[in-house]
Amino acid sequence: MMRLKCASAMPLVLGALISGGAASVQAADLEFYFPVGVNAPAVATIEELTNKWAAQNPQHTVKAVYAGNYEETTTKALTAAQAGDPPQVAVLLSIDLFTLVEEDVILPISDIATTAEDQAWMDGFYPAFMSDSRFEGKTYSIPFQRSTPVLYFNKDAFRAAGLDPETPPKTWDEMIEMGKKLVVKDDNGNVTQWGTRIPTLGLGGAWLFGGLVVSKGDVLSTETGTEARFDTPATTAALEFLVQLSDEGVMQPGGISWGDTPKAFLEGQTASMWTSTGNLAFINENAEFDWGVGFLPGGDGPGAPLGGGNFYIFKETTDEEREAALDFIKFMTAPENAARWSIATGYVAPRPDTWETPEMKAYSEKLPQALVALDQLPYAYREFATFQRAKVTQYLVDAIESVVTGGSTAAEALAKAQEGADSVLSDYK
Amino acid sequence: MTKGLNRIFMTTLAFVLAGLWGLPFLYSVWTAFHEEKYSANFKWNAPITFENFAQAWNAAPFALYFLNTLILITIVIIANFILCTLVAYAFVRYKFRWAGLAFGLVMVQLLISPEILIVENYLTLSSIGLTDTIIGIALPYLNSAFGIFLLRQTFMTVPKSLDEAAQIEGAGAWRVLWNVYVPLAKPVYLAYGLVSISFHWNNFLWPLIVTNSPEVRPVTVGLSVFATVESGVEWSLVNAATLMTTAPLIIAFLIFQRQFVANFMRAGIK
Repeated sequence: MMRLKCASAMPLVLGALISGGAASVQAADLEFYFPVGVNAPAVATIEELTNKWAAQNPQHTVKAVYAGNYEETTTKALTAAQAGDPPQVAVLLSIDLFTLVEEDVILPISDIATTAEDQAWMDGFYPAFMSDSRFEGKTYSIPFQRSTPVLYFNKDAFRAAGLDPETPPKTWDEMIEMGKKLVVKDDNGNVTQWGTRIPTLGLGGAWLFGGLVVSKGDVLSTETGTEARFDTPATTAALEFLVQLSDEGVMQPGGISWGDTPKAFLEGQTASMWTSTGNLAFINENAEFDWGVGFLPGGDGPGAPLGGGNFYIFKETTDEEREAALDFIKFMTAPENAARWSIATGYVAPRPDTWETPEMKAYSEKLPQALVALDQLPYAYREFATFQRAKVTQYLVDAIESVVTGGSTAAEALAKAQEGADSVLSDYK
Repeated sequence: MTKGLNRIFMTTLAFVLAGLWGLPFLYSVWTAFHEEKYSANFKWNAPITFENFAQAWNAAPFALYFLNTLILITIVIIANFILCTLVAYAFVRYKFRWAGLAFGLVMVQLLISPEILIVENYLTLSSIGLTDTIIGIALPYLNSAFGIFLLRQTFMTVPKSLDEAAQIEGAGAWRVLWNVYVPLAKPVYLAYGLVSISFHWNNFLWPLIVTNSPEVRPVTVGLSVFATVESGVEWSLVNAATLMTTAPLIIAFLIFQRQFVANFMRAGIK
């Protein structure tokens, strides 16, 4: 009776999923760890969605556990797993895949989702987002809260500089050329508005750097998890471009932090910035000028990194729990729910069918800037990930920082980073 | 003459230092009561708003979290006072074999950062079924090497003759502890209590890892929801939430300020 009511109220796809699952599934109690990387309503939205799943699957229960930021969530999940008490399902960074594999705590989702229908479901995600969920031919995770950086630009500033506000720069050369026109100085010669702002410090800086490298036709890491390509012509060119931006007076010299960048853009200290699509809602709410979004300008063509979190299923689980966890993940990535999540948070919905829902269509009409990230996806590549990621990434972070703050040359710093990364990764080859 | 100059210099220095120290606090008060767009834009007539507090309060079950923090701190402080006092008393008053070594072992604990022990502690709690409980959060902190050290040093300064006089009057070991040592160490208890409360009020990672339910989580977990690095930090919201969660500590300090200062003076903490 209950099931009938649900099915009639739900769209076809979901209805099929639920009745299909309910026929064989026995009761399971799920624990679901999730991190929050964007503004506060995220917790309420996750709880709303998990409650909806539980209501449709009265034989199961699910407990959504807020677990801090990404890093803390991974620590919490690994600690619990080591004590033999892991969550059944968790959203963790897509690039934590190698760490989780090394700790042997997760299960390939392709081992559970084995039917033709499951296969079709997994094929329904954007290939770019699936690229970092695979290892040794198996799919370990399912994309959920994914983001990618885009170029935000102040259309009013473009108009004031005599530039066309509908054509943002597309290449590195254009960035420098247009950037020079966008710089505004006061009577004393102090810059009051810079041409652009590309965060170069910390992990955010390393993330964006991945995009620069992709646009030069190379990659920082591969699917094997054992290769770091820090010292290549593409990385050298990318790093030299960052230096050139400040040498030509387009970008503030010295290191640029991730956290202050949206604020600098909102306050008009910069005419454009590179930052995550996760900022769309924040900028939309607070910008007091006309603004637009474009592809990240590229070296030889467009290129961007991908980021964000995926669903993982943990190893120490019963068959019933695995099946329920899979059903839960399918529910969370189903069109209506993914649309709800995407609109509430600004994450890029990971499946084309989500963008076909009426909610999503209304949203992208109201905020057409959201579509730019989607169009950029075919040119995006996985974020840097290897075994011992934290350690290896730090070599890259140090290299970028030492160059932009003026200490060393690009070639020198990158060679040193390569050496460090190789010594760590040699154990894994 | 030099004395006067000296005084002026010291007073100026004090004001400058106080100003530097107070700036972040003033900034957080400013942003908490104004809209986000004024967070780096100081206009004296910017409209004051309480919206940030309302928004912050509703983002997490803060009433529940406050209660949990209070329960947690009460448990930890009471256990600390009792256990540290007894251990310190034993170290000072009784000569026993390996006393030096035992005290050395206690001191070594000061060198171990609690973060390293998270996995081991979690395993222990998990095996006795205390994860996801307030007592579970408190358990690793019920005794404290720092507390033992502090009280031992204080008890050692109590003149032996006082202890002996009490014994001659017929007081037993408990009575001596309660009537001689504890009253003389009152300022230290107060100082230690203060440090301990603010430490546990701020503790985040351990409670986050051992708990899953909002029913047992402390305020810091609620606060962390606002540290949204990915999408740019909204300072007005963050600071409203921070002021809200630290308010009880600040108010308590303001109320007891006179007593704190008086006690520190009397204790002559150098």
